[in-house]
Amino acid sequence: MTFIVRTVSRTADGRVIIRPTLVDKETIGIGRDATNDIHLADLAVEPFHAAFTRLPGGRVLAQTVGGLGFAVDGRSTKRAEIDANRGAELRFGGHLLTLAMEDGVATISVERTDALSDATGEKDERTVFSLAGLLPGKRLGAWTFLILILAACLAWPVYSWATWHDVKTRPVGFHADKMWSSGPLSQAHRALENNCQSCHEKAFVSVEDNKCVACHIGIHDHADPKRQINAMAPPNFGKRVQNGFKSVFGVPTGQRCVDCHTEHQGAGPMPATAQAFCTDCHATLKSRVTDTKLADVSDFGTAHPQFRPAIVTDSSGAAPIFRRVSLDASPIQSNGLKFPHGTHLSATNGVARMAQTMKSEQGWDNALACKDCHKPTSDGVRFQPVEMERDCQMCHSLAFDRIGGTVRTLRHGQPAQVVADLRAYFRSTGPVRPISLGGVERRRPGNYAASQTSGNYASGLRNYGGGADAAISAVFTKGGACYDCHVVDRTGDANSAGWRVRPVVQPTRFLQKGWFNHEAHKTDKCETCHKAATSETNSPIMLPGITTCRECHGGESSRADVPSSCAMCHSYHIDASAPWRAKRDVSRAKGQGRFVVPAGYLKGAVR
Amino acid sequence: MATRVSVQNRVRGSGVHDGFLRHNGFYWAKIAGVISLIALLVYIGIDVKPRPSGGSWYGYTLGTIGALLILWLTMLGVRKRAMTSGRWSLKSWTSAHVYLGLSLIVIATLHTGFQFGWNIHTLAYVLMMIVILSGLFGITVYSVLPRSLSNNRNETTEPQMLEGLRAVDRQLHEAAQPVAQHYAELVRSSLEQDPFGGGLWSRLSGRYPRCATRLAKAEIRRETVHMPKLGDEPLERIDALLEKKEAMLARVRRHLRIRALLEIWLYIHVPMTFALIAALTAHIVSVFFYW
Repeated sequence: MTFIVRTVSRTADGRVIIRPTLVDKETIGIGRDATNDIHLADLAVEPFHAAFTRLPGGRVLAQTVGGLGFAVDGRSTKRAEIDANRGAELRFGGHLLTLAMEDGVATISVERTDALSDATGEKDERTVFSLAGLLPGKRLGAWTFLILILAACLAWPVYSWATWHDVKTRPVGFHADKMWSSGPLSQAHRALENNCQSCHEKAFVSVEDNKCVACHIGIHDHADPKRQINAMAPPNFGKRVQNGFKSVFGVPTGQRCVDCHTEHQGAGPMPATAQAFCTDCHATLKSRVTDTKLADVSDFGTAHPQFRPAIVTDSSGAAPIFRRVSLDASPIQSNGLKFPHGTHLSATNGVARMAQTMKSEQGWDNALACKDCHKPTSDGVRFQPVEMERDCQMCHSLAFDRIGGTVRTLRHGQPAQVVADLRAYFRSTGPVRPISLGGVERRRPGNYAASQTSGNYASGLRNYGGGADAAISAVFTKGGACYDCHVVDRTGDANSAGWRVRPVVQPTRFLQKGWFNHEAHKTDKCETCHKAATSETNSPIMLPGITTCRECHGGESSRADVPSSCAMCHSYHIDASAPWRAKRDVSRAKGQGRFVVPAGYLKGAVR
Repeated sequence: MATRVSVQNRVRGSGVHDGFLRHNGFYWAKIAGVISLIALLVYIGIDVKPRPSGGSWYGYTLGTIGALLILWLTMLGVRKRAMTSGRWSLKSWTSAHVYLGLSLIVIATLHTGFQFGWNIHTLAYVLMMIVILSGLFGITVYSVLPRSLSNNRNETTEPQMLEGLRAVDRQLHEAAQPVAQHYAELVRSSLEQDPFGGGLWSRLSGRYPRCATRLAKAEIRRETVHMPKLGDEPLERIDALLEKKEAMLARVRRHLRIRALLEIWLYIHVPMTFALIAALTAHIVSVFFYW
């Protein structure tokens, strides 16, 4: 009795069946081949895999036969001496052999522990066909994402806010509340991009006006705030809906900076205020603010009143009087000057002939052109006042005397000096003494000729001073040097012999509320808009009416060549400089690429 | 006209199958279509200044509708655990879920005013679109694949498929007993490979480049190609069994692929829905936080 081989198998319900076999041999074979004493139907086992040999002292030698090894107590080997009294577990492929000594007989229990194949192993038929084992569960994924996003996109930004909301400037770097930003800030506010708290001061409180005017200190109200509230049109459906949302979430619905100046709309320049923001009030303003002098406006192309330039209506007083008059009323300006544009621009008259004569000297063409007298300002927006000395005197000489080779001229702009100069002229020279008048000897009776000469001379001497008065009158009256160009009144003082030349007023800006830029229109000829060639006196205002502008400009959403919102010519926070939009257009046209804040607009500048 | 409608209703009520997509004569499809059309027409019709965005009155309105809709759509997960019939039947609810969910594409896109960026707001939008697109994928596979699933199964059930595999494995195991160790190893490699293994990509694509059964069959064929066919050689039997197993595996894998396609979208749809709800919460809170 050498070996007892117990074959262990299990039924489907787990019951164990043991079939013991007695093998009376010193050496027994183990393998897949059926002739082996221990037959393992196992493809991982060689047909003749190993042999067990009984050694003295209850020891068993396990030795490979085919070359493939086996495992003894978990360690793989090809040869092992095993003390059967202490027992051992041997693994051959999917079989487990347990060696033990029972009553002096080496007992080997053989059991297949591994499944025949993967498919025959334990498979949960409900899940094996689904993706359940291959992917993390849906519930796990759901919770993971939920927590991750809440932590990253809500908790972290809140933490950033809590950490930084009371500093003036945050250090450079990523701040988590940046991911809440709905879009980049406009160019002008780009520097604030990192510092959310510079506008968003308190949590759940919308941006307040004081945050804006903290920097924009020069900003003034468009009009009396109370009147502005009255001026607002009743909210339309959309506005009512928005106000509903606002009031639910505690946002003020009155007039606030951010109502017009919305930020986070893109990195470019802040868009010009849309026409609708103006027409909200101005389209039907008269019906609410009944005492307003402003006409209702809803669109430049279709509903905009005629321009009302501020023109000089009276320059006779100490200060000229300006009045805004509609161009439809064909206003006449009274600026103290007489100037027929047509005469000066003619290509055929004496002026043109004179231009031709002085062509080489003055650089003129065969006739005068606008530019010969009107010099643009350095920014090109408008024109410098015309100056007598620079722009008129080359033709309109004030010369009246020649002493030797020197020509004396009347002093322009100084009537008293003119009067004094003329008197001096007549005083310092007398009538030429007739050579026949002789010496101082007594005149003989009968020399009638001498007597006549003497009498004439005496009379001439006596009357010579009166010539000054006549000459003075001639200068200041029709046909005189002053009178032809200036309006002359007889209200002057004694110094000017009672003559008074009215002060000349040359307004450089007619449109006080709107804005016109000649620079932007310089591709056009002057005559396109200003009908100067046919104007025979200076009095009619030659400003083009709205019809002329509308040839190119229409409302914001029109199909005109230049769709123009209100902001192109008007500014809400109006001051002496161009509206923001116009300034931006100019700076862009000049390639500066950046909005130029006018001097004095921001904090610290002198206004 | 009225009689025809009532006849149709009776037919429908009498148990003729009517999927959730065409439920009640596309009732919810029509409703969702009308909602989308109104949203679109209003968007085109109104002139929001300075530009359309989530912060305009229309943006707020669509945002509110969208957020409530998303929450309601999520409730299908709760609702589907209770199956009822009638007006608010699960089928009707699912139909509404599908079509109203699709209308969110219009509502939420118009809500954005086409302003996108690297922020939480766009994240919420992107997650929503992922959820909707995965749902769209789900609808597509649900309407296309069940037919091919049942065609492929050839009237066998999943346990029967598994049992078939087990049977052929047992036969292979038996047949390989007498052969040389070299061949036995090849057979064993086929037996030990998990027929359901191969990872997600294999499941979805149906490609199993390291299929041990195919490799074993190829190897055995390569080595036995010159041997005479006697008909009682164990290797010939193994070859035939491997071929049978390969065909069986092909069918099982087609089945797995179709089932994976039917299931995979939910692994995106459901977790992304929760991600969306988190992002939506952050989006709404952030808007009011930094008013």
